[in-house]
Amino acid sequence: MENKLKEEARKLLKEGKVDYIVGYGKGTVKFRTSPLITNKEEDIEGLVINPFIANNLSRYPAEIKGKLGIVVKGCDSRSLVSLIQDNKVKRDDIVILGVPCEGVVDIKKLVEQIGADIDQVKEIDKEGDNLIVKMDGSKKTVLFGDVIFDKCFGCEYPTPLEYDILLGSEVSPRVELEKSLKKIKEFEDINAPERWRYWKEQFSKCIRCYACRNVCPACFCERCFVDVNIPQWITTYGSWQDNLVFQLIRTLHVAGRCSDCGECERSCPVGITLRSLQRKMVEEVKGLFNYETGVDKDAPPVFTHYEATDPEEFIK
Amino acid sequence: MGYKKIKKDQLNTFLSELSKDYTVVLPSRSGGQVVFAPWDGKNTDFLDWYKNTIIPPKALFFPPVEEMFRFRKGEEGYEIEELMPDKRQQIIFGIRPCDARALKIIDMLFADTYKDPYYLRRRENSLLVGLSCNEPCDTCFCASLDISPGQSEDVDILCTDVSDNLLIEAISEKGSNLLSEMSGLSDAGSEEESKAKEMRKSAKEKIARQINLSGLQEKMRSNFENREYWEKASKKCMACGICTYVCPTCHCFDINDENRKKEGKRVRSWDSCKFPLFTRMPMENPRHEKWRRMRQRYHHKFEYYPMNFGTIACTGCGRCIRECPVNVDVTEIIGGI
Ligand code: SF4
Ligand code: SF4
Ligand code: SF4
Ligand code: SF4
Ligand code: SF4
Repeated sequence: MENKLKEEARKLLKEGKVDYIVGYGKGTVKFRTSPLITNKEEDIEGLVINPFIANNLSRYPAEIKGKLGIVVKGCDSRSLVSLIQDNKVKRDDIVILGVPCEGVVDIKKLVEQIGADIDQVKEIDKEGDNLIVKMDGSKKTVLFGDVIFDKCFGCEYPTPLEYDILLGSEVSPRVELEKSLKKIKEFEDINAPERWRYWKEQFSKCIRCYACRNVCPACFCERCFVDVNIPQWITTYGSWQDNLVFQLIRTLHVAGRCSDCGECERSCPVGITLRSLQRKMVEEVKGLFNYETGVDKDAPPVFTHYEATDPEEFIK
Repeated sequence: MGYKKIKKDQLNTFLSELSKDYTVVLPSRSGGQVVFAPWDGKNTDFLDWYKNTIIPPKALFFPPVEEMFRFRKGEEGYEIEELMPDKRQQIIFGIRPCDARALKIIDMLFADTYKDPYYLRRRENSLLVGLSCNEPCDTCFCASLDISPGQSEDVDILCTDVSDNLLIEAISEKGSNLLSEMSGLSDAGSEEESKAKEMRKSAKEKIARQINLSGLQEKMRSNFENREYWEKASKKCMACGICTYVCPTCHCFDINDENRKKEGKRVRSWDSCKFPLFTRMPMENPRHEKWRRMRQRYHHKFEYYPMNFGTIACTGCGRCIRECPVNVDVTEIIGGI
């Protein structure tokens, strides 16, 4: 896959079909990759595809001027399609390089499984369904399927739905929905005061770095409501209540646009379980409107569109 | 005073003794992250897993959100209620050498022409007990910044983990006075001392990441207008606040008044030069584009701070590298200039 990507990317740049290639490069932190954005052919050699390509790159097309060749996994392609539906990205301005995806490793889970610090790990190799984790003088084998992100367990579209070039052969969905929704279901079973206590604890940690918003492809407002100060919607500093309100409003704003890419939770430096909120909203939108984000670029976005059959029980 | 020592499994007697006169704050796991929190009176297992916190110790002196004072409009003008930090004495136990240096660095700013009473009171009421690093993280590069993971002049007391014992050494006068009052410690032998020396040396050698500082300020000045460089360097940046908020030396803040009818409060909170709205309130943010904001952060740390205070405002703690969602790496950016 990696070689095919390099070949195609070089061709796209050489033939002038794109101005930039947006893909993944080797990161400078162990077992992480980093976005590689370049207009130079000599940088193409640095492109990688491996089980650590966590970032959702579809935030870049709206920001970088010119035509882009962009690498996407299944979930990322849905963010991109959603942006096309919302007229934020022009389909003709991008060349989509699709990665059929088996899932991405969640380093936190991996660390838990091997019971060692990530700094002790020297190498990780994927062999079939296993990851071979090499440490100083020892070796551990973990099941790949045990250490991927929660979102990947329930991924119904691991092969991008929209692409110009598919870099490998299609992957069949794993769809272990139960596993993917486990945390959310557990959460629904606890009583309201407990839940409230939980979110209070979570949002007391928030430092308002806005990484959750800034990495999210669905958060594309030119001026976010938290940055509006006349009138001021919420305080610029963080009381836990305001932090919670910020996140709840954000959740509503990205409803129908969130593809469950999980970038918000992955990026949050203090580990707030943001995906639970977003994923729950995905379920709601599906349940109420039978709508899934970014699966059809020609469909109208769910909240810009009215159907006579739309539920309206909330109008009393 | 020579080295003292205590068996690691006896650490809680030492901590209990300290707790009599001080609030002891140390690394603990809470809500899925490692933070400095008041000691629970029992646990000392952090010695087994602690490397460093994500939120730096600056937060103990310069909290993310701080109420400065309250005000009320009375018959004869405003009544002010001061909200100074209380006088409680605290011990920060387990601070890393890089983070202790970071406090020294921001002391210069908070005690400059304007003396920040909130920060300084907390500093005066605190005693730092450092813990040297035996196993640096993959992201650490303190050695390039003249900080040794195994030593520190910036703490009051320094502890070093040597197998079953914790070697304890007084660094400042304050630290030496405190140690002389402690009863549960015994004198360390030369064997332990040489072991500690060895560990220090090997810790330093384990640090692989580096940053090249030679002639840096000159280079930065001549590179300042190099828009192409900064545009490329900032291309993947998401303009969030992580790198500044997790940085132990970043110190920018915003001040807001919260009014309700006739009363209110003044609050200060962390702010970040990475945000488009930074400084927008008093004036305007002259750095509209992301590349200008990124340039600001690095120039502030590696060029302006040395001009103002004679020291680089980076300690090589590596937090910004580790926590950045897109892996922007300060060593690459500075190295590339
Ligand atoms: S959610 Fe699906 S497409 Fe996205 S990373 Fe996981 S397996 Fe891949
Ligand atoms: S990423 Fe986390 S800490 Fe930052 S604003 Fe979002 S919820 Fe708060
Ligand atoms: S943490 Fe990374 S993405 Fe966020 S502002 Fe800093 S460099 Fe940019
Ligand atoms: S700039 Fe980065 S490495 Fe340097 S002190 Fe700040 S967080 Fe640590
Ligand atoms: S940067 Fe140096 S002092 Fe700081 S935690 Fe790492 S090794 Fe220790």
